[in-house]
Amino acid sequence: MKTAGLTTVIVLLFALPLLVRQPYYIHTFIITLIYVILVSSLRLVALSGQVSVGHAAFMGIGAYFSAIISKEFGVTPWLTIPLGGLASMAVAVLVGFPFTRVRAIYFSMVSLFGGIMIVNLIRVAKRWTGAAGLAGIPPLTPIEIPGLVTITFLGQKVPHYYFTLLLTLVCLLCLHRLEHCRIGMTWKGVAQSHLVASSVGINEAGLRVLALAVGCFFAGIAGAWYAHYNLVVTPNTFGFLPSIFLVMYMLVGGRDRFAGPIVGTAILVMVPEFFRSLKEFAPLILGGIMVLVVFLMPRGIAGLFDQIGAHRGAPARKEAKNAA
Amino acid sequence: MGIELLGQVSINALMLSSMYILMALGFALLLSIMGVVNFAHSVIYMAGGYICYQFAVVFGVNQWLSLVVATLIMAFLGFFLERYCFRPFFGDPDRTIVIALALIVLLESSVNILVGSYVRSLPSFAPGVLRWRGVSLSVERLVTFIIGAVLMFALILFIRKSKIGQQMLAVAQESVGAALQGINIYRVSAVATVIACGLAAVAGSLMGAINNLNPYMGDQMLVKAIEVVILAGIGSIGGVLGAGLILGTLDSFLPLLLSGSATDAVGLAIVILILLFRPQGLFGHEA
Repeated sequence: MKTAGLTTVIVLLFALPLLVRQPYYIHTFIITLIYVILVSSLRLVALSGQVSVGHAAFMGIGAYFSAIISKEFGVTPWLTIPLGGLASMAVAVLVGFPFTRVRAIYFSMVSLFGGIMIVNLIRVAKRWTGAAGLAGIPPLTPIEIPGLVTITFLGQKVPHYYFTLLLTLVCLLCLHRLEHCRIGMTWKGVAQSHLVASSVGINEAGLRVLALAVGCFFAGIAGAWYAHYNLVVTPNTFGFLPSIFLVMYMLVGGRDRFAGPIVGTAILVMVPEFFRSLKEFAPLILGGIMVLVVFLMPRGIAGLFDQIGAHRGAPARKEAKNAA
Repeated sequence: MGIELLGQVSINALMLSSMYILMALGFALLLSIMGVVNFAHSVIYMAGGYICYQFAVVFGVNQWLSLVVATLIMAFLGFFLERYCFRPFFGDPDRTIVIALALIVLLESSVNILVGSYVRSLPSFAPGVLRWRGVSLSVERLVTFIIGAVLMFALILFIRKSKIGQQMLAVAQESVGAALQGINIYRVSAVATVIACGLAAVAGSLMGAINNLNPYMGDQMLVKAIEVVILAGIGSIGGVLGAGLILGTLDSFLPLLLSGSATDAVGLAIVILILLFRPQGLFGHEA
């Protein structure tokens, strides 16, 4: 049943451009998909017990790196997007070793400072980043399959949508595999107790750096993709508030489940966009959803299934107890 | 550097420090007593400034009176906040963070709807310039510093000397142990939240007169407050004073040499560096 549901969702997502014609809605879906990658990668970092509050800055590193390389050296974005991910990962490794000296709330706050610092440094490096914003980023170069088709991207929403969807699915698959392989289990162990983990010979500091690096790699890719889609990047997109909003999407969706960040992002990014006609009242709907979730769903939206399951299971368990 | 500039920068440093400390004390109280990372502190600061503006400029009330009214309203909001937003989620940091973020979204957009997002400014609380031996100082900044200093020493005295202050310290150390000793931890956290929100409103109104009011003015201040708390070490009240002075001084002397963004980056780099060598903060005792 689970596979059937998943297949339906994916088929629907592929059929979406046929159902929805307005470019604006397609744009909303593209942005949502990019944020799904980001928030899911943030959850991967959080698996190892460290909630990063500077994740948007790592998206910014990927975005600026890829944009600058492709703009200044004329390299095709198809090559610079993975490079953007690697750049973000390199920075994560570099800051990871010192940052993982601190734990829990201190780590969150240090990552918050680190994120703001990165954004400030982007503003300072005027020569390359143009301080207030970088425009004229080259779009994705057309793909030509000789004799078959030519896919152009400039100004086209639908090809962008399909490639973003593919990228998101690939990234989610990687993240899902990572979580359920041995490393993922070790990360969860480190999160539960770093003392126990290190006492059985697990290099917990190294693993925490690894989690940060892998998470930031995907964030960098998402950022680079965003840069070549949007063609303009500004430092404010990667600042303090965007970073806490990523954490918010994760928590509202529910961080216990893989689906949590996906559901949370889908609802919190898309709902205010669809109520755009309400102008400044739209954020109130967002706030309302958050308040509802906090009061009614203690484990986030995705945790609702567990809640229902527990509710249904309760009488059964009582009977079992009586029988015993 | 001339003596004139030195005098002005010093008074600026003291003023900034006192405002950072007021914000940081509130944030630190909530963090150590309830374990709440109250990101909503920024919007309470902002809302305090706007309420003061509303009373002083729109209703034409005396400005000092509007400051008091803004403080009282925000303190009342703090009472409400603790009772209905933090208490139900005691011991669940994830949900308190979400509710704090929901407050940011709700209050910021409410201010946007009610007064618009363009910049407003409160008139100066104490206009005029003080001249002394060729050094001219802004009276407003001096008054702001004095108010901040008086409030923070009053709070520290309150925590050190009063019964409920001592209870706060006990709850901060070990809330279950404190509850077992018969301390009503909910009452203690209610008092702490009321104080924190009131102080944020005072800081917001005073800073609203010195800089400008806009719906996003709290973000910068919140980051500074968090920097001060983390630099001081969670649980250290005296440390907040030291850390606040360090950051305030950095933030007023560095702009003489660097641009705005570079100043922030250097300040943050210094905080991160200190934390790497002392992960528990400058004055904290445990990690």
